[in-house]
Amino acid sequence: MTTVHGEAEHPADATATVALDGTSRWYGNVVAVNEVSFRLDGGITGLLGPNGAGKSTILHMIAGFLAPSSGTVTVGGHPARGHPEMYRHIGLVPEREAVYPFLTGLQFVTAMARLQGMAPAEAAAAAERAIGLVELTSAQGRPIGTYSKGMRQRAKVAAALVHEPRILLLDEPFNGMDPRQRLHMMDLLRRMAAEGRTILFSSHILEEVERIAEQVLVIVAGRLAASGHFREIRRLMTDRPHTFTIRSSDDRALAAGLVGDPTIGSLAVGDGLLTVGTNDFGAFSPSVAGVARRGGISIHELLPTDESLESVFSYLVRR
Amino acid sequence: MNSVVVGITLRQLLSRRRILLLFLLGVVMVLVALALRLGLDDVYWDLYTSRLLDNFGLATLMPLVALLFGTSTIGSELDEGTAVYILAKPISRSSILFAKLLVAIACSVAVTCIPMAFAGLVAGGDAALVIGFTVAGAFGSVVYCALFVFLSLVTGRALVIGLGYVLIWEGVLAGLFAGSRTFSVRQYSLSVADAVAEASAEVLEAPLPLTTALVMAGVVTVVATVLAWRRLSRVEIAGETA
Repeated sequence: MTTVHGEAEHPADATATVALDGTSRWYGNVVAVNEVSFRLDGGITGLLGPNGAGKSTILHMIAGFLAPSSGTVTVGGHPARGHPEMYRHIGLVPEREAVYPFLTGLQFVTAMARLQGMAPAEAAAAAERAIGLVELTSAQGRPIGTYSKGMRQRAKVAAALVHEPRILLLDEPFNGMDPRQRLHMMDLLRRMAAEGRTILFSSHILEEVERIAEQVLVIVAGRLAASGHFREIRRLMTDRPHTFTIRSSDDRALAAGLVGDPTIGSLAVGDGLLTVGTNDFGAFSPSVAGVARRGGISIHELLPTDESLESVFSYLVRR
Repeated sequence: MNSVVVGITLRQLLSRRRILLLFLLGVVMVLVALALRLGLDDVYWDLYTSRLLDNFGLATLMPLVALLFGTSTIGSELDEGTAVYILAKPISRSSILFAKLLVAIACSVAVTCIPMAFAGLVAGGDAALVIGFTVAGAFGSVVYCALFVFLSLVTGRALVIGLGYVLIWEGVLAGLFAGSRTFSVRQYSLSVADAVAEASAEVLEAPLPLTTALVMAGVVTVVATVLAWRRLSRVEIAGETA
C-alpha cells in the first residue's frame, strides 16, 4: 500500500486519515477502479490521470457516495459509506457545476454551515470568513445562478471549507478559474495543508498537479499506475523512451551521423522524415544538434510524437 | 427533521416554473365551477359540486400536483447533482427524507386544497360537502407524496411512470372493479370525503368502506416511506466522469 505523509507544520490527527485497501469498483462489466490501495495522512495529494481514468469514482468512494465492489475505503478509521457523522470532518467539492441557483453565495455557504450543525450566528460568521478566503465577498449577495463558472467553483470551495474540515476532497477544483484565481486557490490549499489537513484533489492537467501537490497518485484506466513524490513521478515521465520526428536538409546524412550515438535506440528514414527513438531524453537534443552542426545539416523541424498525457500515462502503466 | 433542508427544498420547489401550470389547473377548476353554477338549477349544485371535486379535484389535480412536487423534492436534486450538498452532511437520512416529504406534502396540500375548496364554494355545493372533499384532497396528497417521493428514488423516469400510473390505473382501471378499488388512492380519498361530508347517497357514495380506505392508505404511506428511507440510505452518486 502506498502511504502518503503530509509535510504539514502540525501533525495530522487520526480523523484526517484516508485509506483504500485493495479497492475496486465496477459498473456491470466495466471496471472503473481496479485494486487500488493507498493511505493519506495529511498534506496535499494530487490524483492525476486522463479523463475517465476513475479519479471521480475514487473521490466519490472516499466521500461515501459509492460503495466499493471489493476492498475497503475508510476515513478516520471508519468505513466511508453509511457513516454520515464522518462528514463533520470532510469538505467536498464535486465536479458537477450544479449549485442551488436561487440562493445567493452567502445564503448557500451559510446553509452548508447550518447543515454541519452550526448555530445561526456561528454559521453566518463562518460563511463570511469562508467567502472571504475564496475572494467572493463582493459577489456574495448575488444569486448563484448569475455567477460565472469560476465564481461558482469558488462558492463550492467556500461551502466545502466553511466547517474547517480535516479532510478536503476536490474533484477538478481549478476548472473554470482564471490564472489569478487558480494561484490564489493553490495558495489557500497549501495553507490548509500546512495546518495538518488532508487534501486530495483530482486533475487531468499535469502542470496543475506539479504546482501544488506534494504527493501524486497517478490513475490510469482504473489502476494506480504510480505514486509518490511529484519529483519522482516527473523523473519517471521524463526518462521514458521518447520518439521524435525530424525534418532536415539531409535526413540520410543525419541518420548516418546519429547511428553510432549511444543515446539513440532506433532510427527510420522514410516519407521525408527521420524517426528517432531515444532512451535518454536529456542527452538526445545536444547529440542531434552536434551531428547536424558537424555535417552542415539544417534541421527544419524536431517534434516529439508521443507527448500526450495519455501516452505518458500509458507508459507508466506498462512499467 | 432538518429546518435548513426544509427551507432549501421549499425555495427549490417554489422556484420552478412548472408550479405556474399547477396554479393554472386550479384556476381552470374554479372557472368550470363557475360555469356549472351559472348553467345549472340550484337543485343540482350539490351533485355537480361532488362530481367536479371528484373528477377534477381528486382524480386529476391532486395526483398531478403530488406527482410534480413528490418527484421534484429528492429525485430532481439527484438528477441535477445538488443532492451532494445535503447528503454530504452529518444528518441522518431519515431526517433528510422527512424534511423533503413534509415540504412535498405541504406544497401539494396547499396547491390542491385551496382551489378545491374555492371551486366547491363557487359551484354552490353544501359547506360540509366542500369540507369533505378538501379534507380528502389533503388526505390523498399525503399518500401520493409518499408514493412519488419513493418512485423518484427508484427511477430517473419517475415523472413519466407516475403520469402513466395516474392516468391509466387511477383514472381508468382502478374504478372498474371492486377488487382494484382497494389499491386506489383516489378511492381512499373518496371514502374520506364521504365520511366527512355525510352527504346523501345520490350526491356522494364512496364504494370503499372507510376502515379499509384508512388502513390501506396508512399501509401504502408507511411502506412507501420506509422503502424511500432504505433507498435514500443506499443511494449512490457517481462522478461526472466516473
